Amino acid sequence: MISNFPPGFIMIIGALLIPFLPHIIRQIYMMILVLISAYSLTLGFGIHSTINVMGFDFILFQSDSLTLPFAIIFHIAAALNVIYGAHEKQWKQHVSIMSYSGAAIAAVHAGDLFTLFVWWEATAFTSVFLILAGNTYRSYRSAFRYILIQVTSGMFLLAGAIILLINDGSALLTKFDINSLYGQLIFIAFGIKAAFPLLNGWLQDSYPEASEIGTVALSTFTTKLAIFCFAKCFAGTELLIVIGAIMTFYPIFFAVIENDLRRVLTYSLNNQLGFMIVAIGIGTELAINGAVAHAFAHILYKGLLFMGMGAVLYRVGTCKASELGGLFRYMPITAVCTIIGAISISAFPLFSGFVAKSLIMSALGKEGLVLVYFMLLFASAGVLHHSGIKIPFFAFFAHESGIKTKEAPLNMIIAMIIASALCILIGIFPSTFYQILPYEINYQPYDFSHVVGQLQLLTFAAFAFICLWHFKIYPPELNSTVLNSDWVYRKMIPGVLIPLLKLVERMNQKFEEVIMISFSRTKIFLSNTMLKNKVFDREVGSDTLIVIQIFTVFLILIFIGQFFYK
Amino acid sequence: MKALIKKFGKINSSVLLLCIIFLVLELIGHRHGETSIEDFTFFPAFFGFLSCIIIFKIGVSLRSFLMKDEDYYDK
Repeated sequence: MISNFPPGFIMIIGALLIPFLPHIIRQIYMMILVLISAYSLTLGFGIHSTINVMGFDFILFQSDSLTLPFAIIFHIAAALNVIYGAHEKQWKQHVSIMSYSGAAIAAVHAGDLFTLFVWWEATAFTSVFLILAGNTYRSYRSAFRYILIQVTSGMFLLAGAIILLINDGSALLTKFDINSLYGQLIFIAFGIKAAFPLLNGWLQDSYPEASEIGTVALSTFTTKLAIFCFAKCFAGTELLIVIGAIMTFYPIFFAVIENDLRRVLTYSLNNQLGFMIVAIGIGTELAINGAVAHAFAHILYKGLLFMGMGAVLYRVGTCKASELGGLFRYMPITAVCTIIGAISISAFPLFSGFVAKSLIMSALGKEGLVLVYFMLLFASAGVLHHSGIKIPFFAFFAHESGIKTKEAPLNMIIAMIIASALCILIGIFPSTFYQILPYEINYQPYDFSHVVGQLQLLTFAAFAFICLWHFKIYPPELNSTVLNSDWVYRKMIPGVLIPLLKLVERMNQKFEEVIMISFSRTKIFLSNTMLKNKVFDREVGSDTLIVIQIFTVFLILIFIGQFFYK
Repeated sequence: MKALIKKFGKINSSVLLLCIIFLVLELIGHRHGETSIEDFTFFPAFFGFLSCIIIFKIGVSLRSFLMKDEDYYDK
């Protein structure tokens, strides 16, 4: 019975009990929920549960070779989140994280667009509380923007689903044509959640405003759910290669100048999504394997980096590069784990990033996409710069900040050590890791050319950073806000719209005044002349005048209308 | 050698040493890339170094018009 339950569903239902449990028992209970949910994965591939509502079959639980790796990593991430958040005594965030993880896992197993839509919105409504948990005025406002944008994405998805249902009579989650209207609507819906260029503002706006536990959970699910959906519905769409290449490219520059280290990580997250989107755009078996492998590895090392920065935020109360530094002495374990995450994301051999990214780079090389290949290679050097060096360097080394603190709580350390171990294990045993990928694969990432090429690229990029820092060319980090695409709706639109509305209002007032004055003056003038000449008596005169005026307006309208009609 | 380590710091000098080791490795074995451009000797090294400098340069030049006060949105 339990195994026929859609995975994740039990987590959402079970989350309702969390407020009534005492602290430690609550953590054990949440772990059990994750395990029960994971048990459903043993059921094998196929459609396992459907429900008929109003004549429509909702496919709640469908699994195949693509859903499995995402389901596995989502469960691992959910379990890590439970451990990482164990010090938090309040129940609110735990309910949010458990139901959010559950919704994302359930979304992966949806077999039709309407079921997906329900979970798609559920991920938005459950996760917004994590941003509110940031507990500042900024996070409160940011949460509102976040929910508005997530719901907009859901509306696009719903519109696409309805059009598809009317056209084809079914809304199964299969491959869609980008040239059709419903395809485009669904593409935009996925694109918003995957933080496409210019649609990415919400990501950098909201994630860094969430609580230290919240950001770790947020970084895992929403964007990777979108990646899963793209892999399922738009694999091989060439447009994705272009979009993905731009995505890997431009967040680098923002990450370099950003001061808030968690915000740097969101830019880096955006850049990593680009790699996956490019791979999905290529669409070959090797490339899809690369995208899935990268998503899998990425969730672990990105989660690890957010955990490290979350621990710093929890202990120090800030994540700003300009205020941090020299924490290595006080938080050595956090520092080492963060460095492992940084090495993994930079794709050093023997770490998870390398075995995942190599697949994508090889797929690009095989397809002969030279320009995109070099854009991604450039981005790889960029990843080293902003995630590999900047994050650990400014937090734990750089200058002495004078902050005295202590090591992160034990539960955080355990979560970070597990994530670090997984990053290393994946890097050391790639063939075991490759077995969970959707397509069979015979690939060896550790050949001489790959390893030496990658090591040269990374050490020399690191050396460049060292030179810049050593010779004091690197400018100091400043307390600042870096403008991003959310500037459009946070500053530009209000900046233009509010004065424009005021102008329209003033013009309307003026217009009314002019009309009123001219009407009353003509009335006085005509009635005076008519009365003097005794054409009409007074009463009838003014009534007739109104009729004449209306008639004149009509005449003018007809006269103007003729021009337009022609 | 000692003077270099003293002047440049232990970690920095070891990164430099690693750079040299990986260059030498290429000379010993035969490295080939995914694309023919990559086959040039020491290509990844040049590419990595230059990319990092370019990223830094563009990033710093963006500071002038993308960087605002911390309370820019709160005003």
